[in-house]
Amino acid sequence: MITAGKNKILSLSIAMSLTFTGLANAGVTDKDIANDQMTTNDVVTYGLGLKGQRYSPLDKINTETVKQMHPVWSFSLGGEKQRGQESQPMVKDGVMYITGSYSRVYAIDVNTGDELWQYDARLPDGIMPCCDVINRGVALFDDLVIFGTLDAKLVALHKDTGKVVWKKKVEDYKAGYSITAAPIIVKGKVITGVAGGEFGVVGKVRAYDAKNGKLVWERPTVEGHMGYIWKNGKKMDNGISGGKPGQTWPAELWKSGGAAPWLGGTYDADVDLLFFGTGNPAPWNSHLRPGDNLFSSSRLAIDPDTGKIVWHFQTTPHDGWDFDGVNELISFDYKEKGKTIKAAATADRNGFFYVLNRENGDFIRGFPFADKITWASGLTDEGRPIYVDSNRPGDPSKSKDGNKGSTVVSAPAFLGAKNWMPMAYSQDTELFYVPANEWQMDIWNEPTAYKKGAAYLGAGFTIKAINEDYIGVLKAIDPKTGKVIWRYNNYAPLWGGVLVTAGNLVFTGTPEGYLLGLDAKTGEVKYKFNTGSGIVGSPITWEMDGEQYLSVLSGWGGAVPLWGGDVAERIKHFNQGGSVWTFKLPK
Amino acid sequence: MKKSNFNALIFWLSCCSIFCSTAFARSYDDIIESNEIVVAVYRDYIPFSYQENGEAKGIDVVIAKHIAKKLGVKLRFRWVTADENVEGDLRNNLWKGHFLKRTVADLMLRVPYDKAYSLLRDDIGELVHEQVHMFAPYHTESWKIAFNNQKIEDVSTMAVFQYHDIGVEVDSIPQFYLMSVFNGRMSKRAKQFNTVESAFTAMHEQKIDAVMGLRSQISYYQHQLSSPNYQLASNAFPNIGKQQWDIGMAVKSDYRQLGYAVADIVEAMIASGEIKKIFEDHYAIYQLPALYSVAMEQPQ
Repeated sequence: MITAGKNKILSLSIAMSLTFTGLANAGVTDKDIANDQMTTNDVVTYGLGLKGQRYSPLDKINTETVKQMHPVWSFSLGGEKQRGQESQPMVKDGVMYITGSYSRVYAIDVNTGDELWQYDARLPDGIMPCCDVINRGVALFDDLVIFGTLDAKLVALHKDTGKVVWKKKVEDYKAGYSITAAPIIVKGKVITGVAGGEFGVVGKVRAYDAKNGKLVWERPTVEGHMGYIWKNGKKMDNGISGGKPGQTWPAELWKSGGAAPWLGGTYDADVDLLFFGTGNPAPWNSHLRPGDNLFSSSRLAIDPDTGKIVWHFQTTPHDGWDFDGVNELISFDYKEKGKTIKAAATADRNGFFYVLNRENGDFIRGFPFADKITWASGLTDEGRPIYVDSNRPGDPSKSKDGNKGSTVVSAPAFLGAKNWMPMAYSQDTELFYVPANEWQMDIWNEPTAYKKGAAYLGAGFTIKAINEDYIGVLKAIDPKTGKVIWRYNNYAPLWGGVLVTAGNLVFTGTPEGYLLGLDAKTGEVKYKFNTGSGIVGSPITWEMDGEQYLSVLSGWGGAVPLWGGDVAERIKHFNQGGSVWTFKLPK
Repeated sequence: MKKSNFNALIFWLSCCSIFCSTAFARSYDDIIESNEIVVAVYRDYIPFSYQENGEAKGIDVVIAKHIAKKLGVKLRFRWVTADENVEGDLRNNLWKGHFLKRTVADLMLRVPYDKAYSLLRDDIGELVHEQVHMFAPYHTESWKIAFNNQKIEDVSTMAVFQYHDIGVEVDSIPQFYLMSVFNGRMSKRAKQFNTVESAFTAMHEQKIDAVMGLRSQISYYQHQLSSPNYQLASNAFPNIGKQQWDIGMAVKSDYRQLGYAVADIVEAMIASGEIKKIFEDHYAIYQLPALYSVAMEQPQ
């Protein structure tokens, strides 16, 4: 009797959920994407809205109720080769779409945690992704689930079956390229950058027609390279990035300038601009390339229709410390003297927080957000760093043959005061929540180096903690004053994204495995749950049948475990994993 | 009861040995018993190791074949995609395995034989290469320039490259050298290419007047052009840092016995002139490592 009754209820709920799914089963539209931040019943963009604010107006889970939050299901990604899980889930019509390590995609029933389908990209031998085999998430458009692979392809899968609809080679993986970022969809185009820090690479941002994968435009991120646009299937010149070569690079080094836009981008409809960050310049030895080396370590504002660079802002001109400028630029408005300022903010690897005018790229203000910065003493009125010359790693050609050059101790370390993990902006508190790390590095010239059996001039470097009791610091920062309102110190480096909600809560994860919920105004820890492995993914929240849900991936990995020194000592006992955890309040 | 446990153990061990034979670097005995050695060589690295229509070719390939033959085992190549430096290649291919697939080779060729390098210590004083044993230098490598004598009469010193374009491989010492020495006076003349091969193509197309690179590669490609217009220069490279260095092999530290066996084979190949002949077959200039020069010269 009791069993039968249960079955009936179960089948009824399946029937209901099927009906519900059936009704709402329209594909994702540009409008869905544009309104994602305020439509709380789905998450169809990386960043909970194309601005990337990672703010949700949901408040059922709040500082009062969060202590009752509990897991409703956990989904294992399986596979023996569990690596870092840096994905942000997407949710649409009762289905969650996530990516896993090794270029895998999963569709999961959000009611039950059941797997609907799984797609495993076949990866070729000999790919050399620099920093673990991670992926940061999918893009949704129409009935397609689109993601980038470690062998630098874009793959579009059908949302119901996981079958390949189209597949495009973005770059040649043999030349050192890969894709790990989530692509974004703007005006029916899927837009992606590429990873590839190796020398010889030139960064490019590309837009494809999301429906069929046809290339629409291509924009090189290094000065001197021609951009292209395709009209009626015809490839046409579309202007050289920066006008002409050789203005900010010596000799021919612009031909292989690096500047890979490997972390994807954001978009703001008010100004109709894409914002993509670029990686550090090549080669590593900055003494070979006097000049600003545009557009390395910069934020680029790109016209989504034409692929033209509208403005640029370079955070680290003539980089010598491996300070990629890829970190996300988040659009936000604020009032000053009764005027609305269309601003955008970014927390750079180099330790400075920048507030820019997003209409024209003008520098509004900047301030250190890292506790310790040694390479620059501050910023000029235009936002350029004031270098500390003695802190630039030395010129290897000046070091005596066979002798290790002098060691420079520099902060932040090359992994940055903030790395890839996205920060969040609350429209309620008007604060940014920045997942930062306090660490420094030793760099020295290493004349005893070899590359492919050939003598080479290398650099030795090692990453070190600055403080005994913490590396990671989650900081609540006021973009108008630069004041740190509160901070939460964490023993291991932070490597996961942040989410903030109207429930006055900030959520993030730690390598120790905890999903943390903190009071957005005070930083007080209101919720703590151990997911069993380190969190390096980005949490999301959404609403379904009147209840607020929260999901995050758990699975320790990413770039941190690949480096040695005393940082490795702090993290070596963390267990690997690979699962999605979904939470809600009791009914 | 006990017996079945024992059988299970035997079964487990035999399974393990089947899988281990491809997953881990192995001892000399394991290699002989399995009748196969896995040798790591670089992918697409002419004239050292490359594949042409599925066939393995090059100097290192021939040397590896000879070693396998002398050990009396079959040979399997592990084609290495180069990491940023040799340290990464040794980690990915000899002791730890790349994180994509945790497999390694038994032996790796084209590893520097350099005491300072093998004894390198990291920032906390640990030996960087304690996991690998480097041995059996088989040639001495250096830098060389090939030039078009219709454009440059003679390369007596590097000074001519203030006036003539010269091709170099991207991110190599020749590039760093031309960009930085003599206060960068030659930097504008340094034209960069993804490979030495494409630099030679450019020289043949009259786009540049010279190419600088690894001596073995330069002499190989100079021969390929088979024209008296392209000559090898005999100039010096002042202030280049390392003028020459030895190239040898490496095994995992635990498997010294394999290292000794291979070193004996290589030494015999050097004494018989076989290695020299392999280089000459590939039109690469051969220089004997200093380690052997005394021993080789004594009998005379």
